Amino acid sequence: MLQVTHVRSLHSGGRRQQQEAVAVDSEPEPFSVFRTQESDPACHSETHIGQYYTLPSAHIRTLFPSGLPWRYQQQVKTFNEACIMVRQPSLEVISYLKKTDYSKPALRYLFYGQKGTGKTISLCHAVHFCYTQGWLVLHIPDAHQWVKNCKELLPSSYNASRFDQPLQATTWLRNFRLTNERFLSKIKTKHRYMWTKREFTEEGSLLGELVDQGISRVKSSSDVVGAVMKELRLQSGQPGSDFHLAVAVDGVNGLWGRSTIKKEDRSAVDPEELTLIYNLRKLMRNDWTGGAIIATLSQTGSLYTPKSAYLPQELLGERGFDSMDPFIPVSVPNYSEKEFESCYLYYMDRHWLQHPQSER
Amino acid sequence: MAASISGLLKPWTPRVFLVRWSRYNPYYLEPEVSKEAYSRPETELSAEEKEQRELKALRPIKAATSGVSSSVFDDPVISKFINMMMEHGNKVLAREIMTQTLENIKKKQVEKYHKASEGEREAIECNPYTIFHQALENCKPVVGLASIQKGGKYYQVPIPLTDNRRRFLAMKWMITECRDNKHRRTHMYEKLSQELLAAFGKEGNVMKKKYELHKMAEANRAYAHYRWW
Repeated sequence: MLQVTHVRSLHSGGRRQQQEAVAVDSEPEPFSVFRTQESDPACHSETHIGQYYTLPSAHIRTLFPSGLPWRYQQQVKTFNEACIMVRQPSLEVISYLKKTDYSKPALRYLFYGQKGTGKTISLCHAVHFCYTQGWLVLHIPDAHQWVKNCKELLPSSYNASRFDQPLQATTWLRNFRLTNERFLSKIKTKHRYMWTKREFTEEGSLLGELVDQGISRVKSSSDVVGAVMKELRLQSGQPGSDFHLAVAVDGVNGLWGRSTIKKEDRSAVDPEELTLIYNLRKLMRNDWTGGAIIATLSQTGSLYTPKSAYLPQELLGERGFDSMDPFIPVSVPNYSEKEFESCYLYYMDRHWLQHPQSER
Repeated sequence: MAASISGLLKPWTPRVFLVRWSRYNPYYLEPEVSKEAYSRPETELSAEEKEQRELKALRPIKAATSGVSSSVFDDPVISKFINMMMEHGNKVLAREIMTQTLENIKKKQVEKYHKASEGEREAIECNPYTIFHQALENCKPVVGLASIQKGGKYYQVPIPLTDNRRRFLAMKWMITECRDNKHRRTHMYEKLSQELLAAFGKEGNVMKKKYELHKMAEANRAYAHYRWW
């Protein structure tokens, strides 16, 4: 961290002279036009649109163990810092989140837009805001990963007609534990859960124990995921609990689409028959209070959808749209002129644009 | 055939049908693709260049191939490398590998740049094009060997190489090295970027091959007079 700030101040010395010679607006900040000092999403406002803010690396390791897109992760590794641009759609959602009345049922926000316009990054921006406000973040990095390429499919122990996915459930539980360390020792379960004839979790035990149970006993991990979601859903709006719940799902159209997983007799599995998807759908209903649901549509990972589809109606399908209705759609457009210039300046600053012609 | 008059321009059928090389009448001139060549004013040109320009106004010009473009990013060396990497005519894949290689080189160098201290930063080269050209330059052999028969035996004789031949050898070594001697499961762009960066720092298997060739040529110096051209 120290090295990064040291580097930046020396860079801006040369950069500032160039900027003052070229740019008209004179800002008293010591850094360039495209960067901002505010690393707290709560303080971002309309003036910061088009500017990059840095995510602290400690936050990235806890919040997004696998939540960021692959190319963005590589960019973070190359540039040695993680910068996100402040844009209008995420600012809108953050302002709504600030003003919500938490005694009313949870509102659903949906980011939609063409491919590559920045829906996932806007979601990560909103999630970072929730994290800095001290909310409990339930982040599913990609719902499509749960409906395709399944290596292990077990029949569910709880309900005979459903299927379990132990691998995906354990990875998700591990990430959940990493993100929400401080809540694990505070929240207590309200129900008693029986895993096998001899193993059970008592009422009133800590959430941390439940999560550990799921990680160590791989066979019942999907049911543990369901139990965790149920507990959080029940407890979040209650007057006794002091936390807000943020549910962030990327690629939410995968919950209601088709899946490529096949049963042993080569017939396709309906997503409803998967425990993880079934429990997640219950979370997405707005019958709980005290939080918000933020989701993104994604055509890239989706199955059996045409490439040109990007609107909620097309990607969610009939069932999905009816379940998600009513929701607040937030459109994520391509970069505007100002944002494009800011992005260009950022890449120039990070020495990513190397061609001599790019110095114009 | 080279002595065809302009009256017999089209259609022109040669006596011997050429299958592989260009079917153009030799009267046609090569196209000039770069914009800078045309933006120079009259005063800057020497007499020969002025003559060339007038000739271009009169003679027919061949059509440009689809591999060249007048963009600033077009590079004849890179195009040649892409063509050599291409298999079964799959130019799309070869280009994709090349762009991924350049991006990979840039990523590694920029990462090194950002992690280095202030003093080392100027020494780190981040532009992948300069790295590519410099690596290729480092790999080009100076002398080559030719198999010449004298008195019933074949001797390996050191001979000078033309520029084209040197460039071809450097590229060929680079590609075969990456295809054969690396781990099976790594991607081609990963193998190529590692090899190019090593060649840029004057180490690696391709440099070894070049030095071995030089050593052989030095060892066979005595036979140099067998060359008659």
